[in-house]
Amino acid sequence: MSAAPVSRTAVATTSFFARQDKARRSTFFLLVMFCLATIVIVVAVAAVVAMVSSAATDQPGQFEVNRSALPILAGAATLLLILGGSFFKIIALRAGGGAAVAESLGGIRLYPNSTDPVERRLLNVVEEMAIASGVPVPPVYFLSQEPGINAFAAGYSTSDAVLGVTRGCAEELTREELQGVLAHEFSHLLNGDMRIGIRVMGVLYGILLMGLVGQLIFRSVGYAGQFRSRNDEKSGNPAMAVLLIGLALIVIGFIGTFLGNLIKAAISRQRERLADASGVQFTRNPAGLAGALKRIGALEMGSQLQAPNAAQASHIFFAEGVWKNMAGLWSSHPPLAERIRELDPSWDGKYPNVGSSNRLIASELANPSLGTSSLVGTGPTAGIPLQVVDRAVKHIGNPTMAHVQYAAEMRPMIPEAILLAARTPYAARAIVLTLLLHKDQAIRSQQIQSLKKLVTEDVVALVAQLMPEMDGLDPRVRLPLVDISLPALAAMSQPQYRQFIEALQTLTLADGQLDLFEWVLSQIVLRHLRPHFEDSRPAPVTIRPLPLLSQACAVVMSAVAYGGNSDLEAARAFASAAASLPELQITLQSRNQCNLSALRKALAELTQASSQNQGRLVNACAKSISADGHATLEEFELLRGISDLLDCPMPPLLSK
Amino acid sequence: MTWLIALAVIAGVPLLIAMYAAGVYNHLVTLKNRFANSFSQIEIQLKRRYDLIPNLVETVKAYMTHERETLEAVVRARGIAVTGLQQAAANPGDPQAMRALSGAEQGLSGALGKLFALAEAYPDLKANQNMIQLSEEITSTENKVSFARQAYNDSATEYNTYKQTFPPIIFASMFGHATNAELLKFDAAVIADAPKVSFS
Repeated sequence: MSAAPVSRTAVATTSFFARQDKARRSTFFLLVMFCLATIVIVVAVAAVVAMVSSAATDQPGQFEVNRSALPILAGAATLLLILGGSFFKIIALRAGGGAAVAESLGGIRLYPNSTDPVERRLLNVVEEMAIASGVPVPPVYFLSQEPGINAFAAGYSTSDAVLGVTRGCAEELTREELQGVLAHEFSHLLNGDMRIGIRVMGVLYGILLMGLVGQLIFRSVGYAGQFRSRNDEKSGNPAMAVLLIGLALIVIGFIGTFLGNLIKAAISRQRERLADASGVQFTRNPAGLAGALKRIGALEMGSQLQAPNAAQASHIFFAEGVWKNMAGLWSSHPPLAERIRELDPSWDGKYPNVGSSNRLIASELANPSLGTSSLVGTGPTAGIPLQVVDRAVKHIGNPTMAHVQYAAEMRPMIPEAILLAARTPYAARAIVLTLLLHKDQAIRSQQIQSLKKLVTEDVVALVAQLMPEMDGLDPRVRLPLVDISLPALAAMSQPQYRQFIEALQTLTLADGQLDLFEWVLSQIVLRHLRPHFEDSRPAPVTIRPLPLLSQACAVVMSAVAYGGNSDLEAARAFASAAASLPELQITLQSRNQCNLSALRKALAELTQASSQNQGRLVNACAKSISADGHATLEEFELLRGISDLLDCPMPPLLSK
Repeated sequence: MTWLIALAVIAGVPLLIAMYAAGVYNHLVTLKNRFANSFSQIEIQLKRRYDLIPNLVETVKAYMTHERETLEAVVRARGIAVTGLQQAAANPGDPQAMRALSGAEQGLSGALGKLFALAEAYPDLKANQNMIQLSEEITSTENKVSFARQAYNDSATEYNTYKQTFPPIIFASMFGHATNAELLKFDAAVIADAPKVSFS
């Protein structure tokens, strides 16, 4: 774990800009290769003509032209042929712009006044991505007959470009996935990929044309030669020479088209990579695009199109539009699995369940807050495998699609009555307070007594009413439940808020000791509610190097080391944590020195550390937890609380 | 012969420098216009958001008869945000006005968040066709605001990076590109507040 986890933007920034640069450099190299190949073809034709002309014609008078000029003439003619062919092909491909392509594939233009919810969402997401990429909004064509998930950008320049989206794409994908797909297409528009593609196809056509001319020469001279060789033996040589040149043109044309197609496919793959990386830049959400690609992999239809013209336009699609059993060198897109792995390195290679697609969207729509950074959830209560802790630390600030799905799956575990309560501002308070009630009956009745003094009677009554059902709750849904309650809690009035916070603090301290779960819970609630009720303007950020904050680091790491450990174990845990921050001279603090208020102060101070150093600190804490060879749920919750308070929220544990 | 070369160098080097400087100048202008355009996008989207809110309040009013306070809070917050935007648009780049706008925006997001949280409890409202459309529009506008900010920051960073690198740094201040473009700070609270609404 030498590479420290850093905050979301830092991770994303370095990787997607780096990947864009790489793809651009590769394209440049390939285009140079393509130009070189064209030059080689011209030179090769000239060389063949030179050889043939010097060998073939010994008889004077047959050729009046200056023999040394012949190869140059032949080269110029070849170049002219290729350029002329490309020119006409490019004109033909440009004709009608993107609209013609979209219509030939069965697309129907969508107008901005559409009221259909699916079309409305599609048009809105297109506008969102236009803003994100800085490209003008193109016309959108809807391929209503296509159930597969695919999209394309067509047209020569941004002024005549259009976007095409299949019905499957517009209906099956979540908003975030749709954003990812369209961001990918906008990258094609922004980077002029269609133009590159059309030009390369033009030149390829020119080379093909050269081969065709070779065939024409070969055939006509071949026939003529048969006649003449009978009648006039002497004219055999020049005819033979022309025949040879025609043959050379065929061979060179064949090799040229073959290699040119290989380069064309390689360029196309690089542009797809560039578009994937730019898509992440525009959305700052790799999970969206990765999710869409996974959805394609999972569907039987995948990204296939049914329109008869699809084969001709296969190069412009989001994913392979036509099923081809071709080797990798020929395909216009990188393999699906490779693209997903670039976006989501921790992908396990499994595609999501096909049937689950619409259900996932439904639950996402029903509970929009699940996608936020405060996503919480916990693994099984027993022990947590160390590699799971390790993986969670790596996911800081970067919840993957799997986490969103996990959160969605968690919801059915919460009884409907509780879920409903968590959504109403009134009952949400009771939910959070009930979560803080101690298991021990004596402490609990004491807690309820103090509650009665702090909050209104009906809240206390609601707590009592919720208690039996809440006690039967799966411990894993406790934190997600807090998350679900947050929007409702934010709707409290100012006096209600003050009352609630006081009750929260009283309950947390009721048993006279720092309980990890209570602490994490109260911190999460406070952190997310405070901006709604208190004037907490973000302090001007001054980044300070870690050595200046070493005392704060020591307090945090000591608190983690003591969590559920004896003094001896704590010393060992602390030592292993300190080892990963070698530049700090820190020692284990006494238990008193890292009490709740000291911890809070230290964490506030540590917000001045750079996000990279914060990541390293969380990393060190994870080491401390793992030092004794096992990690408990409590320890992990403390780690998450710390991580959350440092503004690098950690996604929930995946119990797999 | 030597004097000819000397002459060519004396005339040619300034010419090359002038050509390069012209290139730098043009690129600076392009980059500056790009981020200025991104900024105007933010303004457009914020305005659109403010225009949508009266419709929302109108639709919601019929159903949420007991939540007058929340509705009034939304209308009030919108009023503050509209004036905030007008002031910020009148003095672009003024940090005071920008901060006031950001505060007003934060207030509006909070009020809207409360409204949508309350709307959860009204199944009839959630099923209302008008409400479904409005919530889609508001979600999209929220997204557009944040994408516009992101695009502004990306293009402002590109501009800043270009004018700070060598050799453009030699010419940048000469051509009136002395100050760096100000980046928009994303308040964590604003991001957390952005109401992600949708009704299935």
